[in-house]
Amino acid sequence: MKSILFAIAGVAAMLAAGVAHAADKVTLQLKWVTDAQFAGYYVAKDKGFYKAENLDVTIKPGGPDIAPEQVLVGGGADVAVDWMPAALAAREKGALLVNIAQPFKRSGLELTCRRDTGIRTPQDLKGHTLGVWFAGNEYPFLNWMAKLGFKTDGSPGGVKVIKQNFNVDPLIQKQADCISTMTYNEYWQVIDAGYKPSQLVVFNYTDEGVSTLEDGLYVMQDKLKDPAFVDKMARFVRASMKGWDYARAHPAEAVKIVLDNDSTGAQTLHHQTQMMAEINKLTAGSDGRLDLAAYRQTVKALLSTGGSNPVISKEPVGAYTTVVTDKAFGKK
Amino acid sequence: MTSGRLADLLPPIAFGLAVLALWEAGVRLFHVPAIILPPPSAIAMRLATSVPTLAADFNQTIRGVLAGYAIGSLAGFVIAVLIDRSEFLQRGLMPIGNLVSALPIVGIAPIMVMWFGFDWQSKAAVVVVMTFFPMLVNAVAGLSSAGAMERDLMKTYGADYWQTLLALRLPVAMPFIFNALKINTTLAMIGAIVAEFFGTPIVGMGFRISTEVGRLQIDMVWATIVVAAVTGSLFYALVAGVERRVTFWHPSYRAKEA
Repeated sequence: MKSILFAIAGVAAMLAAGVAHAADKVTLQLKWVTDAQFAGYYVAKDKGFYKAENLDVTIKPGGPDIAPEQVLVGGGADVAVDWMPAALAAREKGALLVNIAQPFKRSGLELTCRRDTGIRTPQDLKGHTLGVWFAGNEYPFLNWMAKLGFKTDGSPGGVKVIKQNFNVDPLIQKQADCISTMTYNEYWQVIDAGYKPSQLVVFNYTDEGVSTLEDGLYVMQDKLKDPAFVDKMARFVRASMKGWDYARAHPAEAVKIVLDNDSTGAQTLHHQTQMMAEINKLTAGSDGRLDLAAYRQTVKALLSTGGSNPVISKEPVGAYTTVVTDKAFGKK
Repeated sequence: MTSGRLADLLPPIAFGLAVLALWEAGVRLFHVPAIILPPPSAIAMRLATSVPTLAADFNQTIRGVLAGYAIGSLAGFVIAVLIDRSEFLQRGLMPIGNLVSALPIVGIAPIMVMWFGFDWQSKAAVVVVMTFFPMLVNAVAGLSSAGAMERDLMKTYGADYWQTLLALRLPVAMPFIFNALKINTTLAMIGAIVAEFFGTPIVGMGFRISTEVGRLQIDMVWATIVVAAVTGSLFYALVAGVERRVTFWHPSYRAKEA
């Protein structure tokens, strides 16, 4: 008798729980693997910020050669983290991505060179072999080379480019004189490989004036026609920015949350702690709204790349929207 | 071209054209976005306007393909001849060769790039690893395929090991060796293109496919696929043509003539 009563109570509890959990589902596609670069979203999930906004968020890690734009176009996610150059280029190709929020205020992209190659200024890059990431990450580099006047096809008077995988081996193995690094990730991999900062020369894209907006949140344009979707995204952005604020206030706890969510076990406490510190520098000062001046600077930079394969050939229209951030935080 | 050959070619050509027509119609009818599947007309246009790029890519990749193919097949053949005399060596080396050929390209390629650099040499190295074992296995099988009666005949002529090898056993092994050579054309193409995903100067068919996918320029991806498919088919046809000349005596060719 007692066991039957328990069983009935159990079923009733489950049914009650099922009714209460009518949370809106959101799938987020990350730009890279689970690491502190996306701490804000993992913190928001684990600390219950998404749940408080009645959202059930699934976070899909990215990886080498996973282009977030393609996942969005293929319908594999509602919202994706992407860099603005890749999103604008995709938009021109007919994949109508729209920026709904910009958590990263600053750019972390740099070109790291070995000091023993003799490179001291950007002009010295001429004739050297440079490692560049592709899969949408090459646009800021192409923009910078166009500004310096260096051809990238290996012709004399230009630079030689190799497609760098998402590691720092070409620099360590001396197959490239300089490689692409992020302030928060690959630069520290070079340091961990035994190089001292005094043995490296680093060109930060922001300092060179060729930085473009990085991690932003993008959705497909046609989905924004649905007011329920816009509302869902507003709640998502609000909770995500709360996650980023928390990560800046409690970095050690954020690192622990990221490591807990890393199913591959590839990330280490040491590396993630460094990464979190650097990422917090990039999100500091951002309230989630897209800074229109920064947007215009990115667009201008991409339009001027020129050459036979410009990143974008005309001024984008409708590439960003403020409806989501207006709904989330109120009109500015 | 005899009318017989023409009659042979007509069905595949007609079928191919029908497939292309259906593809074009289907993409237009169902408004399939170009970044999912471009129509054949867009691919043809991209092919026509990108000849310099595709030519440079072909130039880069083919070096890895041909160098790797030649070295891998030759190495397999030479090792097969060397271990031919020793049953012990055969039993020892075959499992190792098997293991080497089972290594996944996606694992070997980055290692080869680290060893041999970003240029075509590392792609050739990957192709060598892939083509070595098929040639070894087939050459060993071919060398042991000479009939007992024929070998006895050579003995009655007083032929030594090398004379028997050159006059009897190698010619008899040719069908097997060409089998391996034909398999290796496909493996060489695959190996070189996939290896280019893992580190390359910014030219090459594998590079083009991986970066254009990232840029959502799918028509360029298909254009490269077309070049790779045509190259692979021509390569195979070339080897099959040479096989015809060398193994003209084989029953499979004689039966066709009759």
